[in-house]
Amino acid sequence: MQRMRGPRLTRRQAVATLAGTTMLAATARAAPEAVAPITIVINQSPWFAGFRKTVELYTKQTGNKVTLDVNPFAGSLEKQRTAVRSGQSPFDVLVINAGFFVEMYVGGFLQPLTAIRPGFTLEPDVYTFDGSPWWNAATHKIGPAAGGQLLTVPINPYIPLLHYRSDLYKAKGLKVAETWDELLANARVLHSPPRMYGIVQRGDRGAFNVTYDVLPYLWSHGGDFFRDQKGGDFTITINSKPTLAGLQTYLKLAKVVGHPHTAAETQADVIQAMATGHAGHIIAVLAAGTFDNPDQSIVVDKVAFAPPPHAPGFQTSPPLGHWLGGIPRNTPPERQRAALAFLDWFQSKAAQMEYARNGSPPVRRDVLQSELAKEERFRWMKPLADALPFARLCFVIPQAAEILAVTELRFNQAIGGELGPAQALNTMAAEIGKVMASAGVNAPRLPDLPTG
Amino acid sequence: MVTLARRAATRPRGEFWWRCAALGPAVALFALLTVLPIVLLVALSLNRIQWSGGHAIWSFVGLRNFVALGADALLQASLRNTLIFALSAVTLQMLLGLGLALLTGAVVRGRTTYRVVFMLPILLPGIVIGAIWKLMYSFDFGIINIALAGLGITPQDWLGEPALALGSVVAVDVWHWTPFCYLLLLAGLEALPRDVYEAAAIDGAGAWSTFRHVTLPLLAPTLAVTFVFRAILAFKVFDEIYLLTGGGPGTATEVLSFTVYRRFFTEDRAGYGAAMALAIFVLIAVLASGAMLAARRRAR
Repeated sequence: MQRMRGPRLTRRQAVATLAGTTMLAATARAAPEAVAPITIVINQSPWFAGFRKTVELYTKQTGNKVTLDVNPFAGSLEKQRTAVRSGQSPFDVLVINAGFFVEMYVGGFLQPLTAIRPGFTLEPDVYTFDGSPWWNAATHKIGPAAGGQLLTVPINPYIPLLHYRSDLYKAKGLKVAETWDELLANARVLHSPPRMYGIVQRGDRGAFNVTYDVLPYLWSHGGDFFRDQKGGDFTITINSKPTLAGLQTYLKLAKVVGHPHTAAETQADVIQAMATGHAGHIIAVLAAGTFDNPDQSIVVDKVAFAPPPHAPGFQTSPPLGHWLGGIPRNTPPERQRAALAFLDWFQSKAAQMEYARNGSPPVRRDVLQSELAKEERFRWMKPLADALPFARLCFVIPQAAEILAVTELRFNQAIGGELGPAQALNTMAAEIGKVMASAGVNAPRLPDLPTG
Repeated sequence: MVTLARRAATRPRGEFWWRCAALGPAVALFALLTVLPIVLLVALSLNRIQWSGGHAIWSFVGLRNFVALGADALLQASLRNTLIFALSAVTLQMLLGLGLALLTGAVVRGRTTYRVVFMLPILLPGIVIGAIWKLMYSFDFGIINIALAGLGITPQDWLGEPALALGSVVAVDVWHWTPFCYLLLLAGLEALPRDVYEAAAIDGAGAWSTFRHVTLPLLAPTLAVTFVFRAILAFKVFDEIYLLTGGGPGTATEVLSFTVYRRFFTEDRAGYGAAMALAIFVLIAVLASGAMLAARRRAR
């Protein structure tokens, strides 16, 4: 009896087959079954264009329909609140900012992702952003170690980075600043107002504007709002000496080498100042896509990136301004499954590589450390990867919105000169104390800083 | 006779039901759209609302939200700014609107064209007005500062300097709403009786005297109504502030509507925000009623 033999493969054929199988597997991972149409409510941020293109890719690959409901920052939050508090949410994925996700968790508005698909987890290379995707509803603690359930999938890894003019650095022989003093020295060299400001900082008052941009200064001097939010010690430290030192550093840069009207500068103004060649430095969320777009910028390929500076003896301390995708409880199961299918596809390496190519920072370590990072176009990847391990959450308590209302006003007044820095911090401490007392939280205060 | 008397006796009853049927839907709609929201607002204002497990938890706090209004520094700043904003903007709009109406009232040629041109600012959406003026006021790129620099004058931070910001927003509001005053006052002027003017001319009254003793007294009711309309709208200003300054710098342009928005929506304090909204509602109602009463008394 002759033994049946299958066709023999050459080595090249074997390699091709293996590669084909791998690609098919990747495609299968990236192309879930046909599911119900979904709507994503999202903010109009500098990274949105890349997200939209990636969603288009998802639709193309899977045939699944996705509608994007795009809003300004504050408008998106309000729509989300209204949606989750209604009988049935019109939105299937909420793209929630780091400043406000806790209120969604505390309110019980999000469906645990394992309740939609048992066993669902984040892939190991996805950044976990200080444990923010997990929440323990019983203990009100963040993170997987706290026994939390997985409620969200990271969408964007925003943290502030130092953006500097690499062409001017080269021309003047400057070294990238690691400390605030070095930044001040470099900014002095570039400062030539009104043609060029050494640094342009955001100082305007909004929902989460000036506070977010002041935090890298405060934290990198050892200051903070509370002694240990995550650990449950709510002693108010906003009027501590380290916090004052951080605010004074911000103010010194603004006064000596900054824009003459920092208190009115919005994020758009800051980005515009760099894009139009009026800023030597900015510390802002990544806007590489804008600066390298010749239709939007006159500094194409002239902006480089680094982790935010720090005070001597401290580490760089970027606040997390990342975005998380959550699924509301009040949507039908088939839409929840469809929403999770999208989020699962989105966290895959293939999707994240496309996301990065489309100009948005990815949420995966292996993408930030991939071959892409060696390309000039993606020169921001390494500094982002370097800074992310030091990034942490600004708030893990549901009083964030009320506290921000206080800090936004008082920081803005300090920058505008209406209040002295110590007076502003003392006022914040008193007002934050009232917010916490009203919520029934024990939040002792430090003695007031001298205001003389 | 008996039939007529019977009909007369039954008519009022029939008319009553007819009136009820005719007015009923309108009254129901009014109650649904106006009274019910106010009742809900009152209910909200007496509670503290928190969310847990996907449900709202209402805790009755009595008048505590109203008491807290007195200690709200932001509310005090916004009340002061709103009064300054409303009085200065509306006064300027009335003066400019009246001046324009007097100047153009007698012009016949090109009447349609200039009226359409004058109306353009009110036809533009607030978002467009905000974008236009924000660009014009920009410290670094605005046309106003470019023009000032061309004249050798130091550029100003129109929206970022506390001393200038409120005035800059008032200027936008004046640009936006002067045409509204102009149209109402022009209509009022055109409706004035001609014979009074002829009599004044025969008596030898000059232009100022005619304006002072004929036009102004006759136009007083229109002036009063226009002022009250505009003042109510000025008290509710939101979009211009939201787009131009966001209430800043500091509290320089914080106004009542914006403070309510912050407390109610941004901070998500529905109970306290409702108390604030109710207090402002009562304040505006009292001011508007007072102004109308004063105008009516003066007209008598």
